[in-house]
Amino acid sequence: MKRGTAVLLALSMGAALLAGCSGNDGGGGNAGGNAGGSPAEASGGSSGAAKVKLKAIITKHPLTQELSKMEWLRQAEERAGVDIEWQEVTADWGQKKGTLLASGDIPDLIIGPNAITDADYAQFPGLFQDLTELIAKDAPNVQKMFEAKPETKVIATQTDGKIYGLPKYQRFWPATATRQFINQKWLDNLGLKMPTTWDELYDVLVAFKEKDANGNGDANDEIPMDFAPVGTLGFGYFQPTVLLGSLGITLSDGSGQGYFAEDGKVKNFLVDERYKQVVEFLNRCFAAGLINPEAFTQDYTKFQSVARGTGETAKVGFSWGWEVTDRFGNALAPQYASMPPLKASADSTVQTSWDYDYNSLNYGVNMATMSAKSKHKDAAMKFVNELYDPKVSMQVLFGSLGTNIADNGDGSYKVLPPADASMDPGTWKWTSTWADNGPMYIADDLKLTLGTDMQSVGKQTEPLMPSIDAIDKDNDVLPGMFIKYSKDDNNAMSLVNTNLMNLAMAKFSQWVTKGGIDNEWDSYVQNANKIGLPQNLEMMQKYYDDYKSKTK
Amino acid sequence: MGLPVQKVKSPGERLFDLFLILVCAFVFLIVAYPLYFVVIASVSDSTLVATGKVTLFPRGFSTFGYEEIFRDARIWVGYRNTVVYTFLGTFVNLLFTLPAAYVLSRREFRARRFLLFFFVFTMFFNGGLIPTYILMKDLHLTNSMWVFILPFSVNVYNLIITRTFFETSLPKELYEAAAMDGCSHFSYFLKVALPLSRAVVSVIGLYYLVAHWNDFFTGLVYIRSNGLQPLQIVLRDILLSNQVFAEGAGAGGAAGGYAQRYADQVKYGVIIVSTLPVLLVYPFIQKYFEKGVLIGSVKG
Amino acid sequence: MALQSGKAPIGASGVPAKGSGTAARPPRTANYRKAFARDYPLWLMIAPAVAVIFIFNYVPMYGIQLAFRDFDFTKGLTGGEWRGMHYFSQFVHSYMFADLMRNTLFISLATIVFGFPAPIALALILNQVKWKRAKKTLQTTVYLPHFISVVVMVGLLNVLLSPNTGIVGHLMDALGYGDVNLLASTKAFVPVYILSDVWQHCGWNSIVYLAALSAVDPQLYDAAKMDGASRWQTIRNVDIPALVPTIVILFILSMGGVLATGFEKVFLMQNTLNLPVSEVIATYVYKIGIVSNQFSYSAAIGLFNTVINFAFLYAVNVLARRFSNISLW
Repeated sequence: MKRGTAVLLALSMGAALLAGCSGNDGGGGNAGGNAGGSPAEASGGSSGAAKVKLKAIITKHPLTQELSKMEWLRQAEERAGVDIEWQEVTADWGQKKGTLLASGDIPDLIIGPNAITDADYAQFPGLFQDLTELIAKDAPNVQKMFEAKPETKVIATQTDGKIYGLPKYQRFWPATATRQFINQKWLDNLGLKMPTTWDELYDVLVAFKEKDANGNGDANDEIPMDFAPVGTLGFGYFQPTVLLGSLGITLSDGSGQGYFAEDGKVKNFLVDERYKQVVEFLNRCFAAGLINPEAFTQDYTKFQSVARGTGETAKVGFSWGWEVTDRFGNALAPQYASMPPLKASADSTVQTSWDYDYNSLNYGVNMATMSAKSKHKDAAMKFVNELYDPKVSMQVLFGSLGTNIADNGDGSYKVLPPADASMDPGTWKWTSTWADNGPMYIADDLKLTLGTDMQSVGKQTEPLMPSIDAIDKDNDVLPGMFIKYSKDDNNAMSLVNTNLMNLAMAKFSQWVTKGGIDNEWDSYVQNANKIGLPQNLEMMQKYYDDYKSKTK
Repeated sequence: MGLPVQKVKSPGERLFDLFLILVCAFVFLIVAYPLYFVVIASVSDSTLVATGKVTLFPRGFSTFGYEEIFRDARIWVGYRNTVVYTFLGTFVNLLFTLPAAYVLSRREFRARRFLLFFFVFTMFFNGGLIPTYILMKDLHLTNSMWVFILPFSVNVYNLIITRTFFETSLPKELYEAAAMDGCSHFSYFLKVALPLSRAVVSVIGLYYLVAHWNDFFTGLVYIRSNGLQPLQIVLRDILLSNQVFAEGAGAGGAAGGYAQRYADQVKYGVIIVSTLPVLLVYPFIQKYFEKGVLIGSVKG
Repeated sequence: MALQSGKAPIGASGVPAKGSGTAARPPRTANYRKAFARDYPLWLMIAPAVAVIFIFNYVPMYGIQLAFRDFDFTKGLTGGEWRGMHYFSQFVHSYMFADLMRNTLFISLATIVFGFPAPIALALILNQVKWKRAKKTLQTTVYLPHFISVVVMVGLLNVLLSPNTGIVGHLMDALGYGDVNLLASTKAFVPVYILSDVWQHCGWNSIVYLAALSAVDPQLYDAAKMDGASRWQTIRNVDIPALVPTIVILFILSMGGVLATGFEKVFLMQNTLNLPVSEVIATYVYKIGIVSNQFSYSAAIGLFNTVINFAFLYAVNVLARRFSNISLW
């Protein structure tokens, strides 16, 4: 064995020498390339003699341009007196992360939405820096956020009272991600009224199917109803689970795995009789050919393309989406109208509800994390503090002053339309800057006028607002990110959820497409219990009660 | 082959020919159409592709996909890196694999069975990614070009294929004759075994070469600097930035419409951009499959 | 007669070898030094490969312990508490175990049954094509699909098989199977998976067989022709015997994959409708892995998989050595 180690050592030293040379070579070539590409970087490099050098990873959106081209970032680094070597990760972060953390090989800072999770903090003790003292010492802007928005401090604090990751607050986002659209032009063509109940919706969809609603002479090319592909890991936005709102269930942040709160009780709709009603309704629609037969097999690209129709001819009658132009394209968007939640039946007295996503759309956890081994913790914290200056934050979100945001001169600002006319504002934002993936604090008193895309999202949410306003936010919304689970509880719950999704997602699609829910319902509920759903609910209830008692 | 006998064909032979032609035509069509589809999809409007309007000819012609791919400066860095890694890597692969395969093909070599087991065992058991990563870090191979070349430079599967070839197609008498002439294993391997085995050397070379060309995982896990990333990683980044994101739209009005029209163009364009260079190598290798390579040397 | 003599050289390399392996084995201990003295050039030639495999494959193997231990970051990778078979029994007793095993075995066995012979047949067919241009074109075409990445491959399947808009969908419609959605049916999942796999890799995998065929002594073909053998007989008596060693070796290797389905393709082809047949061990481990880094649990499942695969390989190798004298080791 000893001899083996010696041989190994000799070989590895050889390799190390080789590696050393080439590593330097590659690095040098890279730096040269970057500097050549952007004058900003070059000037930053030359004047950076006294600056603190830091390393950082950012998990950015694939659309986002190179960091060296972001003027606001250069300025922020300059003010904090740091020079950061960024590693820009656009894909497969989960895969990379496991190896980096387990081998302890992490840079000074890691930036990105929940890039390091609460579970990671629990699993890798000693790897990450508790920021509590550093915030008090170096980060007045973060302190301001914690004072003005105490909930941001709640979501940043772990069960042991420490703060490893900093949160964000982006203020402007609507209360829900999912909006409901119907083709108003088709309704007009056929002389129909906008449906208000499931039965009326059913009749409208039948009319869409049987008649030539889009008026192109072909009565068979209309898809009455379509929804986003349902994944095997759980439900998502733009899916028919929002119909549960008709029966009084308030989804929280999409309720992907079925969990929701009602009158202070944690429940799961997957074993709720009301879910059964929704599935039965969907099965009735599917059997009548009202739902896109490919709804369960198409990918998201196709789901989007189909809705864009051809030219002025729409294909889809009723669907859900983020925003109307995003969903149906600029050409068809004017045909669609935003629709309020449906009642389950005409005589139903249930207060309709809707998917409530305000928290997940406006807050984010663990946006910035620091290595406990960093040699320049103060400098790193000062840089992070810069990002939380509301004026920098708005540039983190929308792009640099001058190119993306205009300074009106009176202390107010305005988000500019895209410089590239062929881009929509959303794409422009994601291309220019870190956007929603960055740490930020958009203070409530910041005077900023938003772009057209965000304004229209607001308008299209209006029909939903009565239902959303009626939600009892204290007892009917599951405060997902506000609750921190212990490592063991989290592991146990996620195992159960993996198995539960395996059962429920397969059954959902089977029941919608082929029916049979009546016969199978009881054994299905039994299986869900066998998997461990009751234990999960019990555990979540405990944490939920605990959370409520603390906030009161 | 060109004997006059061949011209007189029995009915059975004719039937065989007909069968052969039909099978070949069938195989060709089945394989070629989807490939052709990739080509036309790479220059057609993505919405039309996704909705099944593109079947035989491109529609909504545009080269935006290719423009998007080649507009990215990183792609040239990626090409350069991948070419270097591929050629250097394949060279090291062959340097290590071929002699080892030869040794394992010698039945008189005492440690043969033990060593074969030693190699095959690693096809199944490994320590997992994390210990391997720590090893690479300790050897200073992370974020260096050598991580593409040195580790795993012997692929056991290829080793076994080569060994099987050496074992079965080199006549045993050949070594005995050479040994009689005072030829050592080393010179026999270089001067007789290798030239006689061009077919397998080129196949293994191709297998290694393509594995390097397509290697995506090494760059993903071990490389930090953009300047060292191989082509596959760069292409994947380009691909992703033109993808339509389900969660993107929900999480705050991300890239919907803009990316939409060209997503598939880029997707299919990427296949062509990444495959063409390897395609050019194949004919050089194919020529070693022609018959009669062996016979000359044996006789001579 | 000539055909029999044609077989001779192929057998010849095997038969004397058997002799030297069994009959001429000297007493063990006494001859080690002698054998090493004789074999040292061979040792030199194999040393680099052994070194590389040892360093990069054997050294990290201490990580296998993780399957038997808790992962405890503060105590180092393998310093956590010893749990013995805990994670294995957790897996074997899990709700999903039976389904996972059934699906995994079914998919991988079907892949072996259909995927394994296809490249052999293709190589034999290609070898019969005498028109060089056609042969080259065909050869190049069939090996091309290998380069399509899995993501794009599955995307291609989605486009082509879509019942509303795909060309295969239209074809099925014309044949009267219009209401079958190939992407959604639990019955169609495995055939689609395997056929597309054959489509993609058959040509590429045939390359190694073509190389073996290229090494056949042309005199054998001439001899067969002289004997008036039909082409079918030539294939049976000359080509196939030439392929046997390669076939046996690759078959043994493929049996080492009875519990190995690729992860990416199954995962990408999964949808909620085919989930009952498409959830395999690899995808399940992934789903467990992404929710939290359950290193120990996924290491245990991985090891479970590996041990079974290796046992199969070992058994098949023993059988092959007994019956054909061709084996991995």
